[in-house]
Amino acid sequence: MSLIDLLDAAGLTGRGGAVFPTGQKLRAAFAHRADLIVNACDGEIGTHKDALVVAEHLDELRHGAGLMARTVHWAAHRGSDTEARLLEAGLQVLSVPARYVASEESALVNHLHGGLARPMMRRAPVVAGSTSPRGRRLPPTLVLNAETVWRVSQIERFGPDWFRSFGTAAEPGPRLVTIGGRVERPGVYDTAAGIGLGDLLQAAGAIDVAAVGLSGLSGGWLLGATAWATVWSDADLAPHGLRTGTGAVHVLDRGACPLDHVARLTGFAAGESAGQCGPCMFGVPAIAEMLDRLAEGVLRPDEVRLLHQRVGLLPGRGACRFPDGVAGFAASALRTFRTDVEAHLAGGCVAARERSGATR
Amino acid sequence: MTVLWYLSRATGVISIVLLTAVMMLGVFLSGARRSVGNRTTTTQAVHRSLALGTATFLVVHIATAIVDTYVHIGVLAALLPFASTYHRLPLGLGTLGFDVLAAIVVTSLLRHRISERLWRVVHRASFVMWPVALWHGIAMGTGNEPILRFTTIGCGVVGVLALVWRLTGSHHDSSRRREVLRQEWT
Repeated sequence: MSLIDLLDAAGLTGRGGAVFPTGQKLRAAFAHRADLIVNACDGEIGTHKDALVVAEHLDELRHGAGLMARTVHWAAHRGSDTEARLLEAGLQVLSVPARYVASEESALVNHLHGGLARPMMRRAPVVAGSTSPRGRRLPPTLVLNAETVWRVSQIERFGPDWFRSFGTAAEPGPRLVTIGGRVERPGVYDTAAGIGLGDLLQAAGAIDVAAVGLSGLSGGWLLGATAWATVWSDADLAPHGLRTGTGAVHVLDRGACPLDHVARLTGFAAGESAGQCGPCMFGVPAIAEMLDRLAEGVLRPDEVRLLHQRVGLLPGRGACRFPDGVAGFAASALRTFRTDVEAHLAGGCVAARERSGATR
Repeated sequence: MTVLWYLSRATGVISIVLLTAVMMLGVFLSGARRSVGNRTTTTQAVHRSLALGTATFLVVHIATAIVDTYVHIGVLAALLPFASTYHRLPLGLGTLGFDVLAAIVVTSLLRHRISERLWRVVHRASFVMWPVALWHGIAMGTGNEPILRFTTIGCGVVGVLALVWRLTGSHHDSSRRREVLRQEWT
């Protein structure tokens, strides 16, 4: 069985969040003799899984990468421990500015070939070769998330049946989840789709769970009560408009104002725009500013419609999916935290009341 | 034949007026502060059609100058800058301007087949073409006719005002792009 057949049989999909079938991507890579970039940037907010894979499974990772390409570049955020580890191992390291969009597939390829680490406009899949913003042809490049490469090496060693013994039939294989926020044991957990989100929360030592954020800036929110009872899989999260995505789980307790947290993250997103597409340059800062005023309790009730309208204008209009992700994140927050939104529009805050109640 | 001579001068002045209008529309397009309705689309369409219209007047202007026997201007001198013995510099400037315009028209017609960068570089040459054409207009032919000379000078004044508007105005799009580019991306 060839490697591609093994991956197809295993049903491995990209662990960077996009869930694209890896076998299909590798078939295109072989056809175009593509080089490989192993993406170990952990670009998503709240994920540390790539760091863990590099720290604890570098030999397997190198083996997996060697199966797929002769030339391998190792992308890591500049100044990170992961970068230091890769350099120490004597690997070809692509030092990526620690920016949210800089580790996007096409941004890495652009950066590798001397361009800026900003996403490119795509006319074809990056694996088939791309065109730089200056009109230069860039060689075919396969970009895979570090966890994906590790899984490839595991499938080659243990076989597709071993891989399929984890997870669900539709979402097979082990998955790394990073749990953070108000939990006693934050960190990376090796689990699989189909596990109860409540079990994950319990494992990480979450006690007071007001809300759970999934997949960082590219995901959205669940209220605590819902989160305890929900199964962590794309199929079960879909009714809530959510995905497992990048595998980040962030816990907020009752003392934290969720709108405050959402406004801070959206404000961060506004500063991460690569300044190339209108919706990202102006749209994301515009909704960040409104969410900020909502968190402050100074947004006028008649502006809420405009906020929703602006959020609706973001998706599908950028060179990359960054604005789509932020729009989904903001829309989910406005939907999930409806009670908090109403309290803030009336000049109050549920979490602040909770805090003062707790101190009394 | 004096008819040809007059025709050449008339089309020359019309050309500089149209060229100035096309340049100003282009300046307005690239420096538009915000797009309102389909104003940008309309401006773009007028900019393109008028540019092609200008080219036809220019062709007549050059052809009549060659055919006319009052002064001798060869075909070579009309295409190759500074190849004419008659008013070598001012006439050569006119030739240069026409060559640049031809390059701009050709690259614009082929815009979807060539790289955006090549189109942009050639298109920017219009900022050379316009003053060169203006100089050619003022230095030649319109000396004894105040109405022709003032038309050309008027074009210069209006065009410069448009350029000043373009250079001094800040555009929220380009300023945000510049601001982001100053961050760490390499």
